[in-house]
Amino acid sequence: MRQRPLERILLFHLPLWFFLIVTLFPFFWMFITSIKPNAELYNVRMNPLYVLHPTLDHFRYLMRETIFLTWAYNTLYVSILSTAISLVTGIMAGYALSRLRFRGAGGMAVGIFVTYLVPPTLLFIPLADVVRAFGLLDSPWSLILTYPTFLIPFSTWLLMGYFKTIPRELEECAMIDGATRLQAMIKIVLPLALPGILSAGIFAFTLSWNEFIYALVFLSSTEIKTIPVGVVSELIRGDVFFWGPLMAGALLGSVPVAIIYSFFVEYYVAGLTAGAVKG
Amino acid sequence: MLTSEITLPKEKVYRTAKWRLFLERDSSIGYAMVAPAVLILTLFIAYPFILGIRMSLSHWLVGQEPVFVGLQNFIRNADSTIFTRTVQNTFIYTAAATVLKLVFGMALALVLNNTFRGKGLVRAAFLLPWIIPTVLSTLAWLWMFDATFSVLNWFLRYLGLIQRGISWLGDPVLAMISIIVVNAWRGIPFFAISLLAGLQTISQELYEAAAIDGANAMQRFRYITLPMVKPVLLVVLLFSIIWTFADFQLVYVLTRGGPANSTHLFATLAYQVGVVSGSLGDGAAISLTMFPILVVVVVILLMYLRKE
Amino acid sequence: MADHPQLSHSAITPAMSRRTFLQVGGLTTGAVMLGGVLPVAAGQAPAKLQGTRLTYLQWVNFVPAHDAALKKQIAEFEKQTGAKVAFETINMNDIQARTTVAIESKAGPDIIQLAHNWPHLYEAGLEPVDELAEELGRKGEGYYDLPKSHSFVNGRWRAVPHSIVSPASTYRTDWFKEVGYDKFPDTWDAYREAGKKLKAKGHPIGQALGHSLGDPPIFCYAVLWAFGGKEVEDDGKTVALDSKETQEALEFAVGFWKDACDEGGLAWDDANNNRAYLAEQISCTFNGASIWVEAKRNFPHLVKVTDHAYFPAGPHGRYHPHATWENAIMGYSKNKEAAQEFIKYLMEYNNYVEWLKAGQGYSTSPTKVFAKDPMWGELDPQVEPFKDIVKYGRHFGYAGPASRKAAEVWSKYIIVDMFAKAVQGTPPKEAIKWASGELKQVYGA
Repeated sequence: MRQRPLERILLFHLPLWFFLIVTLFPFFWMFITSIKPNAELYNVRMNPLYVLHPTLDHFRYLMRETIFLTWAYNTLYVSILSTAISLVTGIMAGYALSRLRFRGAGGMAVGIFVTYLVPPTLLFIPLADVVRAFGLLDSPWSLILTYPTFLIPFSTWLLMGYFKTIPRELEECAMIDGATRLQAMIKIVLPLALPGILSAGIFAFTLSWNEFIYALVFLSSTEIKTIPVGVVSELIRGDVFFWGPLMAGALLGSVPVAIIYSFFVEYYVAGLTAGAVKG
Repeated sequence: MLTSEITLPKEKVYRTAKWRLFLERDSSIGYAMVAPAVLILTLFIAYPFILGIRMSLSHWLVGQEPVFVGLQNFIRNADSTIFTRTVQNTFIYTAAATVLKLVFGMALALVLNNTFRGKGLVRAAFLLPWIIPTVLSTLAWLWMFDATFSVLNWFLRYLGLIQRGISWLGDPVLAMISIIVVNAWRGIPFFAISLLAGLQTISQELYEAAAIDGANAMQRFRYITLPMVKPVLLVVLLFSIIWTFADFQLVYVLTRGGPANSTHLFATLAYQVGVVSGSLGDGAAISLTMFPILVVVVVILLMYLRKE
Repeated sequence: MADHPQLSHSAITPAMSRRTFLQVGGLTTGAVMLGGVLPVAAGQAPAKLQGTRLTYLQWVNFVPAHDAALKKQIAEFEKQTGAKVAFETINMNDIQARTTVAIESKAGPDIIQLAHNWPHLYEAGLEPVDELAEELGRKGEGYYDLPKSHSFVNGRWRAVPHSIVSPASTYRTDWFKEVGYDKFPDTWDAYREAGKKLKAKGHPIGQALGHSLGDPPIFCYAVLWAFGGKEVEDDGKTVALDSKETQEALEFAVGFWKDACDEGGLAWDDANNNRAYLAEQISCTFNGASIWVEAKRNFPHLVKVTDHAYFPAGPHGRYHPHATWENAIMGYSKNKEAAQEFIKYLMEYNNYVEWLKAGQGYSTSPTKVFAKDPMWGELDPQVEPFKDIVKYGRHFGYAGPASRKAAEVWSKYIIVDMFAKAVQGTPPKEAIKWASGELKQVYGA
């Protein structure tokens, strides 16, 4: 639609810039704080929006005083494994529920969706008991096995949507040619559903990286912690000045996700919207 | 290998082993393929849920054995002003944040629904609050709200709008507003991007036809845009409401439920009572109270969705 | 400390000179103590724990020097015994959650340093340590009431008292002088008057009233008790909060807050008042000596204008809710003996004094003997009030015992919220009614 320049500024540029600034300011603030020396940080008279003598001290403090890199490794490890588990189970369940006819399929699909009504914050206390019974408390496996509970429903649902768009004839042809169901699925359907799988994967990864309450309750030892829990529990140190290293930790903790996300933006958006549009 | 099987005489095909057929049946494969998902969900959602119900019906202090007490925990909660305040807080928080996300999400979606240079980059930038771990971005907000060093206060003072710093997290009303704002900040991208996808499925011709018929912008929005994004909208609303109602991280980092319990949500109160104070039965009861409410909300929304 | 050819040699020498000093000072208990129960020289630990792994969980001490001294002592212990000690520190407000999970899952740190009356909360999960606690009590010439009431639960010692962190008034001598106070005001009314004048000059008093376990309860309970209010009667059951005295306390607090305080305090956690003082935003705050220690490190210009004083007194007396810290051995621990040896090692006279000195007055001991140690003469005169400030201590849950229910009330911030509500406009009567109701739920159940 052709718009007059004034209209364009009012209806487009102004709101766009407004939203951009509000959206990105906290990240700018995170960054600025992480490189600002303490003398400037805690000086109420100074203009806080710029830095006179940027420093890497806070990052050094972070690395020296905490085992941040171990937490980063833990978070990566937990996220990748839980994503893998959710993808595999989600692909299988999604395929079965959208392609195969068997009794109870409809019921199971609804059942899987209903589990979304039981959010982690509802379950964490009794779940801690179950995790304890399995002997998994204070182990990364407590997360790797429980994260799929909120990753699988969404992945299944998303993939069901993708699978439904792939014509049945393709598999039927392959099976007439003598392939087993499994072979048909792996060789034909999966490659076609790859965009959906990538979307589900990247979505699952960011959700895992973001999870907090299970990690907070199930993990205790400092070497096992993930970044969100480590940063919040070990960098907030009572009376001692900590905002610099804290923001440094927050920044570094966000970077891996942001990087991976930036390579897969299209898939992420597709996943997000597929859930909504195909709903 | 495959071709040789095809050239076999007909009789052979009928004698394919029964067990082979069994394995190839839809149901066998079907059940086998959903089994892992069902197993995980049963073990780690269904079973703990039942366990949670049992816990909520017990008096269970850390280190001791649980004692069945029926509905006592729930009855005590109904009497406790901290609990009723929490219920109130959660509803206000969810309602206000959802309205904000809806309105601004839609606005942002409309803005993004134009073509412009760098659209991909901008779209990616807008998703950052949603992508970055909530705890970490909330810490940035905590620092922005700091009682002494708040950059927001500095800015308002610079503009001459205030004399003394605003206590963003120290005043009960302001604290609630603050957490609502941060939740909206985080959630608007989710609404915006989803709605944008919905908007993009609407063909331009519809708008043009309506414009020719004399409809103005508002009317075009009401009679074309809204109905067509409704399905997307309802799905997004569904998830958003569930997640916001059950929110934990944000409040935990910003206020831990204070000041004076004015920002406690179900999840943070359950954590405070169950894990911090060690009163596990109580904590489970608080958490569980969320469930019937969520079911009602979802049923209403789904019925509305079905109608479309 | 220069060269030490052999550990045992170095351990004996300073010990012997101390013993001599104490004997000269007329204290024979020194000899008794240093003679000790273990047949090794003072400051040493038995070398029979080879290969044991211990985990020790403590809060992140507000005075980093304390933790540094502790780490050194741990390294010593490891060398002497061959045991390995994993030392972990987390935010104080998170220790309770960790403890709950550890007890429920029957796995976790061997020793957790608990605060206040938490041993009452976790009684069932803590190993009784009667012998060790009694022995250290004897050596220390007896415990003060407060630490004992926190660790001695239902007739058994569930934790070994370790230290006390006392809040005192940390104030700007120059600004107080400006408004006419050469000495710190001695009564709450005088303090409020001073605060009024200070706030008018842009130097309000700073006090936290948020949901943090350190500073907010200190202020609230101190005011409550100074005006005669109390949570329960001495039967430990009857809620006694609804009284004329509590009303007076609340009314005072409301007036005090408006007249003299930085109203942002409602959002403060335990760190904000430190930062505000060091950023020269406030003129006074209740805090342990951590502000002083930080000033000496990074804000030297504030050192000569800062001093400490006891809390003001009210019509019913002067009370300080001190924070006690105690080391508890967890019931599930598989290394209880090693844990006992470790705790004993930390509480050995020399080691403990080293640790106390590192805090420069921030921490004091739960037993009476350490108040007489010459180290207090070596510290700055500004931290002198901390030496015996413990005598004004009183436990949460007064006038009932320091029980599990008192711990629960404190964890739920009931008293803190009562004050917070009143300060924000709820009529005191209503706030009291609310708090009484919540108290009754805790004590009635």
